[in-house]
Amino acid sequence: MNWNNALEFVRGPLFNAALIIFIGGMAYRLVRVLLLGWRSDKVPGKGSKLGGVILSYLKGLVIWPFIPWVQNTFMRNPLIYLAGGLFHLSLFIVLLLGTAHMLVWKSLLGFGWPTLPLPIVDWMAAAGIAAMIALAINRLIHPVLKLLTGAAEWLNLLFVFLPMVSGYILTHHLFFPYEMGFTIHMAVVDALLIWIPFSRIAHFMFYFFSRTIHGAQFGKRAATP
Amino acid sequence: MPIETIAEELRRKGISRREFMKISGAIAGVIGLMDSPVRVLAKSIDPVERVLKALETKQRVPVIWLEFQDCAGCSEALTRSQAPTLVDLVLNTLTIEYHETLSAAAGFQAEEAKQAAMKKYAGAYVLVVEGSIPTADGGVYCTIGGRTAEDLINEASEGAAAVIATGNCASFGGIPKASPNPTGARSAMSVLAKDKPLINIPGCPAIPEVTTGVIAQYILFGVPELDSLKRPIAFYGNTIHDRCLRRPFYEAGKYTASFDDEGARQGWCLYKLGCKGPTTYNACATIKWDAGLSFPVQSGHPCLGCSQPDFWDGGGFYQGQSAPLSRPAIAAVAAAAGIGAAAGIGAALVNRSQKKHPAPQAPAQAGEEKEAK
Repeated sequence: MNWNNALEFVRGPLFNAALIIFIGGMAYRLVRVLLLGWRSDKVPGKGSKLGGVILSYLKGLVIWPFIPWVQNTFMRNPLIYLAGGLFHLSLFIVLLLGTAHMLVWKSLLGFGWPTLPLPIVDWMAAAGIAAMIALAINRLIHPVLKLLTGAAEWLNLLFVFLPMVSGYILTHHLFFPYEMGFTIHMAVVDALLIWIPFSRIAHFMFYFFSRTIHGAQFGKRAATP
Repeated sequence: MPIETIAEELRRKGISRREFMKISGAIAGVIGLMDSPVRVLAKSIDPVERVLKALETKQRVPVIWLEFQDCAGCSEALTRSQAPTLVDLVLNTLTIEYHETLSAAAGFQAEEAKQAAMKKYAGAYVLVVEGSIPTADGGVYCTIGGRTAEDLINEASEGAAAVIATGNCASFGGIPKASPNPTGARSAMSVLAKDKPLINIPGCPAIPEVTTGVIAQYILFGVPELDSLKRPIAFYGNTIHDRCLRRPFYEAGKYTASFDDEGARQGWCLYKLGCKGPTTYNACATIKWDAGLSFPVQSGHPCLGCSQPDFWDGGGFYQGQSAPLSRPAIAAVAAAAGIGAAAGIGAALVNRSQKKHPAPQAPAQAGEEKEAK
């Protein structure tokens, strides 16, 4: 056994297994949520459901995060706004607009897209890592968060933190030979993929699910979500 | 065996002192590429002088060169090497007793010559192996003179002082070992006894200067410093990526996206085109090929990783290295989603029945908990 074999294992069979567990797990979670039941809705529609959904996404993904004074999001909690926002933005940029990750998507989906220059992705990754550290410290010292934080929350942080740090180390060829760093990165990514469906990190999918439902419900009633 | 030093033999073969000095310099240059043994000696003795001294005191070491499941590419590369002094020295003057491709003799005569050499130099010769060894179906996929490759390598290695596996096939199984490996091909390392001194010189083909350099180094100074895959650290201590002339473009995130775009013309990094340089240990980027003229990455082609174990099964040659080796089959994905959904439905049904009939469920659960305790 050497790092080459280990790398082949984590990039090949283990990655495939993790992906399949991830897909199966997410399907399980989605069906569970759907089967919790729908209340019969006898309200006659006043507005457009689709319009409500679009507005809901615009507010959730664009207006509230990027125009802080609309809902005063920054002043309500500056640390969560900055660190939490930066972390999510960093994940989005690194995972979708980093060249190495785009190649992963390309191999899975069959098509690729233009990516950002490495220095930009690199600085965003560093910012994301720093944001995660800030959020972890916040969890340690914030009196209310301390009460709400259990093992699952720490594991969530760890499972996301490890791929980010190992990916950063890999890109910069720090500490380890490349194949060793690559193996570690892929191993923690595989672990994350398996962990996601059974943790609250699954919100990356349920967020869109709930915004769609909310938006449609509000849109039907011609209310503002 | 007549006791004659290498220098004496060279003199007998008409090599002048001046040529001899040149050869010593060439050997010192090639084998002292990175550190050992020069690092230790640089303080006291000039490396050329050390090579000279070794040539003058050590005896000639014969080489028996066997080929099994190979394309003879490593031998071909060697004969076309542009470092004539060193290759001439190693191939003609110094060492080769038996070589299937280069030998003028054929058939029984060649076999007899090999047997004679093995007997004459028992315990002293170096066995160079080129090609993998098939083990499936009793080894019928590669036989020479009616004997299987496994049989031949075991016989030849018995009297060998050391074994040098040249090329990826002999070092790691190479293309013959690629999935599904119908011939049960194996590397020399996995066939031979573990205690036999063995040096791997992987590559497809192995760089000729590295092959001759390692043979020369073994003859003069013994087994060089090896890594965990038994490769000489002097030649395999760095990755292609470590020494790549396109590395600054990697750092700057400037990638060639096709073989004919602006990036390709500007010499940008070939990572997106599937370059395996970051995980490939070899001396291509430093020694290069054709007398130091160029190497694949310099010529605009991504590194295939041909000196790494199982490179043939290491993902598509033109697929970026970050991509997974394979993607799960659609059927497997569908099955996983189906099983997940079915489990979800099952769990929901159980939930609902518990909701409808909470009373009878409660004692059963309590009982189960007690049992678990």
